[in-house]
Amino acid sequence: MLSLSLYRHALRLYPGFHREQFGEEMIALFRELQADMATKGMFAQGLFCVRETAGVVAGALREHWRVWGGEHVWLLFSSRRFTMRTEFRFPKATAVLMTLILAGVVLAIQKGEAIQASVPDTNPLVVSIHPVHSTLLPGVVIGLASFYAAGLIGWAILFALRRSGVHRLDETSAK
Amino acid sequence: MALYDMSPEATMDFLPLTEPVLLILLSLAGQPRHGYSILKDVEQMSGGRVMLSTGTLYGALRRLLDEEWIERFEEQESSRGRQAYRLTARGRRNLQLEVGRMKQLTRLANLRIAVKEA
Repeated sequence: MLSLSLYRHALRLYPGFHREQFGEEMIALFRELQADMATKGMFAQGLFCVRETAGVVAGALREHWRVWGGEHVWLLFSSRRFTMRTEFRFPKATAVLMTLILAGVVLAIQKGEAIQASVPDTNPLVVSIHPVHSTLLPGVVIGLASFYAAGLIGWAILFALRRSGVHRLDETSAK
Repeated sequence: MALYDMSPEATMDFLPLTEPVLLILLSLAGQPRHGYSILKDVEQMSGGRVMLSTGTLYGALRRLLDEEWIERFEEQESSRGRQAYRLTARGRRNLQLEVGRMKQLTRLANLRIAVKEA
């Protein structure tokens, strides 16, 4: 199980002011939760360990991003929501679906290449087409990066429009 | 005198709340609590579905403190002098707004579902 000393070290990932403000409280709370977990099974202890580790790392990253560029910068990299508002949600399911579609396309291309390579070229009049060579992993990575970049650009435009107050023009004109 | 900007525009910018934040605020709506008590209450309210990590909890508490939706104080009853949290007037007002928004949505959803079934 995640030990208290390890947890203390992990808290060093947070910015100094956050550790000063909440460090002792977080350690005290972790100690209480650890005592609760001692009576539970291995699976529950494992889940606790994963949850705490992920929570501390994500929390520290969030605090550093906040220091770097304000509260909203973190939202650019959030997979749960772009903002706390309904109109800008970007659910995980969409990201998973996009990944599956992309993986399917890449696999189909690869399969097509394999079939073409296995069929002998019996008709010399037909010029054989050589598809662009691609490998699965770089294809998926590049595709995902492109999707994410496109999403970020779209979100940035929507965010800028929202900050400018354009979305309230309808409300104003309706009054 | 209003200490905070309570205009609809200022408050509605934060809505809708994420589920963990809503549950934390609901937990503090009944009584002031310290970290452990908030975690356990959130877990209980969500039927064990939402189990916050310490990192997530204190990230949310920090943001709520910054926005002055909650305030921190030292528990008098506790021998250890633990820090506890309670809702501010602003936090309570925003929580009411969020609950009102959800009520409206639920009412609309019920109406639509009833029309569809009829």
